[in-house]
Amino acid sequence: MTERDSSILSVAGATKRFGSVEVLKNVSLAIRRGEIHAICGENGAGKSTLVKILAGIYSADGGTVVVDGEVREIRNPQQAQALGIALVAQELSLAPALSVFDNIWLGNRTVPLFHRRDDLRERARRALGQVGLGDLPLDTQVVRLGIGQRQLVEIARMLTREAQVLILDEPTATLSDAEIERIFAALRALKKEGKAIVYITHRLGEVFEICDCVTVLRNGELVGTRRTAEVDRIGLMEMMLGRTLGEMYPERGVHRGEPLMRVRGLQVPGAVGQFDLIAESGSIICLAGQIGSGATEVLRALAGLLANATGAVEVAGRRVTLRSVPRSRAARMQFISEDRAGEGIFLDLRVDENLVATRLAEHTRLGLVQRRRLRETARRLAAAVGIDTARMRSRARELSGGNQQKLAFGRSIGRAAPGIMLMNEPTRGVDVGARAEIYRIMREFCAHGHALVMASSDLEEVLGMADVIVTMYRGRQVGRYVRGHAGMRQVLADITHPAA
Amino acid sequence: MTRRWADRLLRAKVRPFTILGGAVLVLALMDRGTGYFFSVGTAFSMLQLFATFGLVALGLGLSMLVGEFDLSVAGIMSLGGCVAVLTGAHHPSLGLACGLAAGLASGFVQGLIMTWLRLSSVAVTLGGLLTLQGLTYVLTDNRTISYPSMEVALGLNAPILGLLSLRSAVAIAVFVVTAAAMAWTHIGRDVVACGSDRRAAMTAGVNTDRVVIGVFTVSGLMSALGGVLLDYSLGAASPVALADVLAPAVAAAIIGGISVVGGRGHPLGIAAGVLTLAILRSGLSAIGVSPHVHDIVTGAILLAVAVLDAPDLARRIIAFRLSGGWRHS
Amino acid sequence: MRSIKPDRIRSRVGKGAGVCVFAHPAILSSGMLLGGSIRRRLALGVRLVCLAGLAAWALLTPGFMTPLSIFSLLTTVSLIGCVAVGMTFITLTGNIMSLALGATLSAAAMVFLASLSLGTGTAFLLALLFGTVITGLQGAIVGWFRANPLLVSIAALGLIIGAAEVLTGGTRVYPATRGFAAFKGRIAGIPVEVLVFFATVILGQLIVSWTRIGRAMQMTGSNPRAAEVAGIKVPHIVTVAYLLAGAFACVSGVLLAARYGSGDMELGSGYDYGAIAAVLVGGTAIQGGAGSVLRTLVGATVIAAVQVCLLLRGFSDQLQYFITGLIVLGVVMLHTLGERA
Repeated sequence: MTERDSSILSVAGATKRFGSVEVLKNVSLAIRRGEIHAICGENGAGKSTLVKILAGIYSADGGTVVVDGEVREIRNPQQAQALGIALVAQELSLAPALSVFDNIWLGNRTVPLFHRRDDLRERARRALGQVGLGDLPLDTQVVRLGIGQRQLVEIARMLTREAQVLILDEPTATLSDAEIERIFAALRALKKEGKAIVYITHRLGEVFEICDCVTVLRNGELVGTRRTAEVDRIGLMEMMLGRTLGEMYPERGVHRGEPLMRVRGLQVPGAVGQFDLIAESGSIICLAGQIGSGATEVLRALAGLLANATGAVEVAGRRVTLRSVPRSRAARMQFISEDRAGEGIFLDLRVDENLVATRLAEHTRLGLVQRRRLRETARRLAAAVGIDTARMRSRARELSGGNQQKLAFGRSIGRAAPGIMLMNEPTRGVDVGARAEIYRIMREFCAHGHALVMASSDLEEVLGMADVIVTMYRGRQVGRYVRGHAGMRQVLADITHPAA
Repeated sequence: MTRRWADRLLRAKVRPFTILGGAVLVLALMDRGTGYFFSVGTAFSMLQLFATFGLVALGLGLSMLVGEFDLSVAGIMSLGGCVAVLTGAHHPSLGLACGLAAGLASGFVQGLIMTWLRLSSVAVTLGGLLTLQGLTYVLTDNRTISYPSMEVALGLNAPILGLLSLRSAVAIAVFVVTAAAMAWTHIGRDVVACGSDRRAAMTAGVNTDRVVIGVFTVSGLMSALGGVLLDYSLGAASPVALADVLAPAVAAAIIGGISVVGGRGHPLGIAAGVLTLAILRSGLSAIGVSPHVHDIVTGAILLAVAVLDAPDLARRIIAFRLSGGWRHS
Repeated sequence: MRSIKPDRIRSRVGKGAGVCVFAHPAILSSGMLLGGSIRRRLALGVRLVCLAGLAAWALLTPGFMTPLSIFSLLTTVSLIGCVAVGMTFITLTGNIMSLALGATLSAAAMVFLASLSLGTGTAFLLALLFGTVITGLQGAIVGWFRANPLLVSIAALGLIIGAAEVLTGGTRVYPATRGFAAFKGRIAGIPVEVLVFFATVILGQLIVSWTRIGRAMQMTGSNPRAAEVAGIKVPHIVTVAYLLAGAFACVSGVLLAARYGSGDMELGSGYDYGAIAAVLVGGTAIQGGAGSVLRTLVGATVIAAVQVCLLLRGFSDQLQYFITGLIVLGVVMLHTLGERA
């Protein structure tokens, strides 16, 4: 009972459901003053959802939250702020049109009506100094800042909130080593002041570097909470995955065929410079890089989505002009976006309509679609990717993340001639069970002679799936490794601070 | 030279005033010192036009700034004016109060529906436009209702210092107060944040619902005020035609730097946009073209700014250039 | 005055937002806890109840079941309906509505009457061509640049009205010959307008549900970015939608011109509002995506029935805008119950 009493924030039995998908199942944890408490788990484990509930962005469907000894209902971000909870979310919440000063004080309850006062400017400057941006003019528009700087501004905002519980969700994904060190120094200082800090990360190194205890979530469920001194890296990974690494990823392909796609001199002004790539049929090529590395832009350029992309691209010997989606698709290049809801799936349409969305041309005669043939094709595709045929008539928005990704995939498979699948973050927002299935589908796809080029910031995934790893940093290729010739350390080094 | 001009125009905050300056310059050039176009009289009629649709432009512009679109401003303007004329026959201030209350209530209720039910503002304000415009038709029985008090009409339009009238002075005052409130209080920051990235604003702790409801309430209030002032000064109330109000208001807002996607612009920019259009109209009237040409010109300007403000314009131009321009397709 | 939907609290004069009982948060949130398909069925049930209530109200209106009022109803449905079918295409592709269709059809009517001397068929084609091109141009701007469709239609509205007034000097256009009589009167006892309308409904529904373009339109409306990624040529699809909208709307213009024997810009005023109301009442969402022309048929019937019954009950037609507005608000709010979370 002493543990409970000294905790400043505790959650008991938190449950959250989105539509028909249960994202959090009965999760409980306690956060104590003067501690840095890590929350670990794979993509889709529910970490972000949990802290968003604490920050009032989502409301839990079940469970209680106790703040400082009293049961509270946190219905919106203002209440969370009033209770002394501050969050730096994974998706940046800065308003691009406003200045740094405005963004720091945006939404702060304690700011008076007339807000352009010198003391507020002073405090903002001090907070910026703590994160290493002391020289940044307060009136710079955020839209002009790089992504690392924006992350730091958001952390500075959190520092001005004078909160008791500070939550950071993957804060270091876009930061350099030096910036990370500065953040850690600030966090250690706050810890000494008696603040409670919640730190979400999937970088296990950081967990052991600054955190005092760690809670592991898997598939929306609590696996356990341990002191970091009492557990080691392998143990932690086993808790996160629930199995050893080997079982997650399917067997690699044995044969690698002829080069199917050659890219030379791909350029996207401001994002990618002079990028070359060769994709052999039957192989999976992974572009590894952080946000801003240009990996995403390479895929989008090849897909025909970027209006200012230039370069020489050849598929099966034929030259492809970029900047047009129909042309890329005609050259047998298909793209699956990481943003399924925004760019992948038609949420309002039915599952079967989604599956055949790209096949209308083949099923049309005299301008009219052949509905029966379409239905049969939809059924076939659903079976191929493992979507329950009973759900064919439901709306796509009712499917889970994993099923939606399978839907996006199912739309693109089943074509005879070898083509290239371009996938960005293939398992974002997908729960662990579905991920293994998706990896299997991806491998099967390549076995038919296609090539798959994927971009991922999840290095475990890259190392598990790739036949060829291409590391990228700031729009350029850093290294190219055939499987087995590079480990985690090399890849991480390449994408964070390449030599020269 | 082109680069310098481009830089100057690129500064979004300055652009509306550059355009306004250009319009004034054109007028001065047309004038050539004769005093025909460029006179105190022209300025007076310009400011009268400013008062006519400026407040509506401000209300609409604010709704666009916060990332929404208030289609109902024309309906609220009609309703406010009609209510004022009907109730204020003997007590002008009572009429004013009733008209403003009608506008405030209309905006508030629409804002409430929008946020409570998470509906698109276009859908709700479409229904609002029809309902309020329809209500105006019902109240006036589709006739023009005259306002008996000529003193009020004259008083509102009497020239002050030759340049202003009470009507335009009120309009200018509203603009100044709004601009001050947006700049000196955190309301301005909250509004821009909501329009720029609603989700980010909410995460940061801004009560986005309250901001949206507030903006629509203010928009309703302003449109009603515009309608009351106009109908009082005309001495008659009649339902306002949509095209007459919405086109110049939107054009003025976009010229003034407001983007239809939200998060960009400020009230003084809208004022510059309204003045630019007012100059244009005065200039055209002075030349002696028929009033229908006004519709054409305003429509053409609106079309032009709609294209310039369009998200994919840059993309199409780049793609066009990269594929060789006119030589290939 | 009795409200149309018997289970809704009537608003007091001065407030357009008739408060819908179903919008009460308790009911909404209980609806949200249920599964998606259950919520949709609930919404469908509510819609059916409202329709039944409307039908009852209509049938109880004295004079409704007479041949005269039935024909009046059918004609009104047909005139609004043609425009509504056109509007459906614009709404389906996610472009909300066009505020210029009413003015476009008035102008097309004037074109028709003015060119009757060239032959009835030619005049008809000219009128259609006029509307198709004018609306199609708007579609091209909206499609290629992603310009805001409302702004473009407001601009077009001003341009069309201004140009028409300048060209005609504000006078009415009278037909040169009697050729327009082909679009008036009855064939085998059914008014020509109704026959033409049913032809447009069949053609429209065929396009939406059975052609590739129609499917592409639904996908574009549901998620334009996803449609682009899937290889759909979004600008082309949007332009085609607008072309169709212009064509169908101008059919109404020709019918109106034939009916009244003369034309000016007032002819089509208000038809765009009636049309979008019909589309929304029928159940197509204002943000686009799933929808059909048959739903618009239902919506047009509802709107027309309300108009006719109001007239029969002695209310002035001033009330039409007002009631249409309340219906639009109510339908839009009801849609939330069925779809959103």
